[in-house]
Amino acid sequence: MKKIYVVAALLALVGLADALYLTIEHLTGQSVRCTIISGCSAVLASQYAVIAGIPLAAIGAAAYFMVFSLAILTLFNYQWAGKVMRAMVITMFAISVWLMYLQAFVIREFCQYCLLSALITTALLVLVLISRGLRA
Amino acid sequence: MKRILPFIIILVVLGVALGSAWYLTRTIPATPTLGSQSPSSSQSPASQGSPVAQQQTPVVQGVPGADPPYVLGPADAPVKLEEFGDYECPPCGMFHPILKQMHEEFGDKLQITFREFPLVPTHQHALAAASAAEAAGLQGKFWPMHDMLYEHQDDWKKEFDVRPIFESYAKQIGLDIDRYNRDMNGELVAQRIFADGKRGHSLGVKGTPTVFMNGREVPFENLPADKLRVVIQNELRGK
Repeated sequence: MKKIYVVAALLALVGLADALYLTIEHLTGQSVRCTIISGCSAVLASQYAVIAGIPLAAIGAAAYFMVFSLAILTLFNYQWAGKVMRAMVITMFAISVWLMYLQAFVIREFCQYCLLSALITTALLVLVLISRGLRA
Repeated sequence: MKRILPFIIILVVLGVALGSAWYLTRTIPATPTLGSQSPSSSQSPASQGSPVAQQQTPVVQGVPGADPPYVLGPADAPVKLEEFGDYECPPCGMFHPILKQMHEEFGDKLQITFREFPLVPTHQHALAAASAAEAAGLQGKFWPMHDMLYEHQDDWKKEFDVRPIFESYAKQIGLDIDRYNRDMNGELVAQRIFADGKRGHSLGVKGTPTVFMNGREVPFENLPADKLRVVIQNELRGK
């Protein structure tokens, strides 16, 4: 049971690093430009990459940090943290599905770091569902 | 101890995350300054970039680009923008209307130069698009083709064969099609694109769009219309 939260915490850390990287790229404009090496990020340059002036990647980084914190708290027997974490991960998964839809059908370009984030969120969802299954 | 341990772990992670983000955003290299060989300054030596700004940032000597460059606005405009662009690049397409808007708003106070910087390995049609614009330029219709390519970017960038599409643009803007087709594959067009690319590389351009204002690179985050307007106004005020 505890192992699941250790894995979840580690995954959230990878997600945090990924989202932080995207935030920095977004803020410095490095990958928003087209370059010879990394190609374009039409995704980061799109109107969907910012909500109310805040880069979506920064919101993602905050969310991963929250999930990490909640996983750690659950590991230290804070029962409420597991429930909050489950709700957060489900919300993040729903947002990821929406963002994947935008990339596939609206922007019609994919951003590899965004795909990694969606993958991590999906893995986190699987983990919280397993933990719920184990408890039941 | 066990009660506070999770909070210590969380705080450490928060500290590392914020610290690394702060470190990485502040270690962005300083923006380079163009050298005195800028074609815009050679056209009108009297109105070179402000000396104050040149003292503030290190001077990077750039080689000249295609001569003559394609420019909008008068040679004695106090503010000169030089864009390195790629017609297939989506952010360049988004920047195109912004630059047109600036041209309308600032009129004779602003001169805009466009430099070809096709990112060939990344964009399969970028070179063909640059060639189309340059071939149109040889018939005095660079800007109409330039506008066509940027404004219809989404119509052609995912197509397999773009040549017939570009040819239809050439017809629409009234080019001599035989000459256009000859020039597309001609030596002069290739040389111009190569010269612009060399100039870009010599100035440290790594991606598109990259914009220089009176010799100094405009940071990418200042390219949205409302910010670019302020940047230009500040430059005008400093004159």
